Amino acid sequence: MFITALPTIAQMVGANRILKGVSITYPAGDPSLAVGDEHALRRRITERALEMLSTDVGPGTVWETP
Amino acid sequence: MTVVHYLNQFFAGLGGEEAAGSEPIRIDGPVGPGRALAAAGLAVDVTIACGDDRFGEHEQESLETLLGWIEELDPAVLVLGPAFGSGRYGYACGVIAREAGRRGVPVVTAMTPDSPGVIAAEGVAYVVPTGSNVASMKDAVPRVAALAKRLAAAEPIGSAEEEGYVPRHRRENVRSGRTGAARAIDLLLAKLDGDVRTEVEPSADRVLPPPPVPDLATATIALVTEAGCVPQGNPDHLPTRHANVWLRYPLDGVGSMSPDAYVTVHAGFDTTFANQDPNRLVPLDAVRELEREGRIGALHDTFYTTTGVDTPVATAVKFGQEIAAELKSADVSAVILTGT
Amino acid sequence: MSSAPADLEIARFAVGEVVGGTQTGRDAGTLHLSLPELAVSAAEPALAEATVDIVRPGEPVRIANVIDAVVPAVKADDPGATFPGALGPLAPAGRGRTNVLDGVRVIVSCDWSVTGNAEAVEFPPSFVDMAGPSVERAPYASTTNVVVTCRPSPDATIVEADRAVRRAGLTVARELAATTIGAKPEIEPDDIERLHVGPSSASDLPAVCTVLQVASEGPLVDTFLYGAPLGGLVPTLLDPLEVLDGALVNGTYDWPSVRNATATYQEGRLIRELLAADGKRLHFAGLIVALGYLDTADDKQRSALQTARLARLIGAEAAICTTFSSGNSHTDTMLTVRALERTGIRTCAILAETNGGLTDHVTEADCIVSTGNEDELLEPWTPERVIGAGDDAMAGERVPLSSYLGANDETGAFDLTAVTA
Repeated sequence: MFITALPTIAQMVGANRILKGVSITYPAGDPSLAVGDEHALRRRITERALEMLSTDVGPGTVWETP
Repeated sequence: MTVVHYLNQFFAGLGGEEAAGSEPIRIDGPVGPGRALAAAGLAVDVTIACGDDRFGEHEQESLETLLGWIEELDPAVLVLGPAFGSGRYGYACGVIAREAGRRGVPVVTAMTPDSPGVIAAEGVAYVVPTGSNVASMKDAVPRVAALAKRLAAAEPIGSAEEEGYVPRHRRENVRSGRTGAARAIDLLLAKLDGDVRTEVEPSADRVLPPPPVPDLATATIALVTEAGCVPQGNPDHLPTRHANVWLRYPLDGVGSMSPDAYVTVHAGFDTTFANQDPNRLVPLDAVRELEREGRIGALHDTFYTTTGVDTPVATAVKFGQEIAAELKSADVSAVILTGT
Repeated sequence: MSSAPADLEIARFAVGEVVGGTQTGRDAGTLHLSLPELAVSAAEPALAEATVDIVRPGEPVRIANVIDAVVPAVKADDPGATFPGALGPLAPAGRGRTNVLDGVRVIVSCDWSVTGNAEAVEFPPSFVDMAGPSVERAPYASTTNVVVTCRPSPDATIVEADRAVRRAGLTVARELAATTIGAKPEIEPDDIERLHVGPSSASDLPAVCTVLQVASEGPLVDTFLYGAPLGGLVPTLLDPLEVLDGALVNGTYDWPSVRNATATYQEGRLIRELLAADGKRLHFAGLIVALGYLDTADDKQRSALQTARLARLIGAEAAICTTFSSGNSHTDTMLTVRALERTGIRTCAILAETNGGLTDHVTEADCIVSTGNEDELLEPWTPERVIGAGDDAMAGERVPLSSYLGANDETGAFDLTAVTA
């Protein structure tokens, strides 16, 4: 699956499992958070990515990380 | 009437993988599959060849040399391949065919329909579809020879459906006689009436989503990135833009993307935050945690990286196919790809 | 149309021949120009030099470093008020009477790369050829062109120099049109357009608006509304008539075939078509102007949402979305199309193709006008004369269509398109 901050382009080029990244410059992190909080965010993003990999989806599906 | 034939290092007899870095060469007469073309009625006058890796990694330079020879020889037709299922060879054939074709040389090549070379050719060349390996040479050669002879004789070629080549989806500029403004109003009002028409559509190159990974706890997951993440110092010189290579690096014993050990060289975004903590680009630390907890079977011991800025679609398709082939043969079940 | 009260009258004067002479003036259908006088009128403190030439269709001339095209225009009742904000003092455009010349354009040339400006060094070649293979592919070869070639002063800042170059081109455009005023006997126009934009009507014709995409990314890549750059613009409404009458002026100098020249706004092909169809095939609901090339996905999305909100508030049922230039502005177009369609407003987008097909696409974009492939390579041509460049300006080389001003215009001004061969 594909973690990216530009999910519309990912859909256009045919990616199917797309997870919206935090920002173009840090898809799987957030420097505005304290270290511990950022690590927890990255863990949640990665868990969501695994969830997407083990879920049946239709073409061009975009999820976010709650 | 001059016929020129392009081959890669293998079919030109220079060697196998070890010769993939061979610089362009020029040989009088037919070589390898060129002899089969000759037997099928297309006499080859000059053979030109280049190593697949050489072309991929030094595209501008290689093209300049090859196009220089082609221009000098002024062939009635240029034949490239067959490349069958080889992505790198097909890509080279597609690029050379496109550039020669745009300079007025009739071109015909042959490869599998999903080869990145078909995209690279951008509809300029006639592409004869082949099977994925050299077993389909016997079938491909007479078809290529026949089409090439007709092109050399400037005979008109029919549609893809009639003639059996890969549809070219070639777009030609024409003056319509009505302004875009007038056409936009017509199309929009027709759409409101239920008649939806468009003058251009996106290409229909789609892959259906594969079924979900059945059991993550026993699966091997790989990390791939187009964010240009490489070991500090960029030891293998990954280009910062318009990448012509992808690279692989070992993750054995690596628990986290430390800023001391890794850096991003991508020219398309502000890398400040990413270089403070490269895990923000390649979430290795989080994946390792989940691996320790048994949520996935294993993280693949290699990660793959390239820079996805100013990279042509055909090149990216080639990279994707090559990386996927390696991951499949390593029994990797799924990939987390990160992009910027 | 002509019986309704006119908000804006555009008096059109055809020009047959344009000749150099000792005086600038008009004599029957012939325009006489004193080139030295025009050069003086174009002079600005921030310019080291401004020269004026006349080139005619069919002459073997390449104009290089083309940055703008301008329709000769003058406010008949107050010539000083022409191009308000950009040249004249601030006043509402789109009212009163404006005289324009048909068959003549001002082409502005300036080689910005000599300033060393980082943007300018990346500009691709920008041509208008008066003969050769591009004549069939680009719009400015069929008019007599008065070329204003400017050289910025090395002491001027880039903003000062840019303003000066713009003023030079606009001044010459005004001076050319001003030959229709004050002549004895008075010169009669060949045609008068009487344009009127009515208030919102509850007709049963479909209400169609247009979204005009512009770009304003900084000096040398700005669009000017009443003389001020549009960076930071939140989508807003403009009066279509003010767009036709000099309120919008171009200051973008890259990628010539796909960006809008000042003449693009003055000619306003899409606006004129919508006005002509107003009350007959559709109700022209209004014109929204919005930025392309917004920096982040969120900024693009935000602008698209606000465009859709405006369109809804003006009662539009359908929208024609134009595009400005290539690359990520196509994402702005597509996100705008999506936002409009999700609001229930049906769309038609106008954009150019590349060798790689469409730059971006969303499934809602099911109705697109193609303005042709900007990557088409034209056959080599060697001009006998080059204006505006110190080097040979690609003489004898294959030039991509993207280098010809207006060739792939994405406002619907031109009739180039692409078909599947």
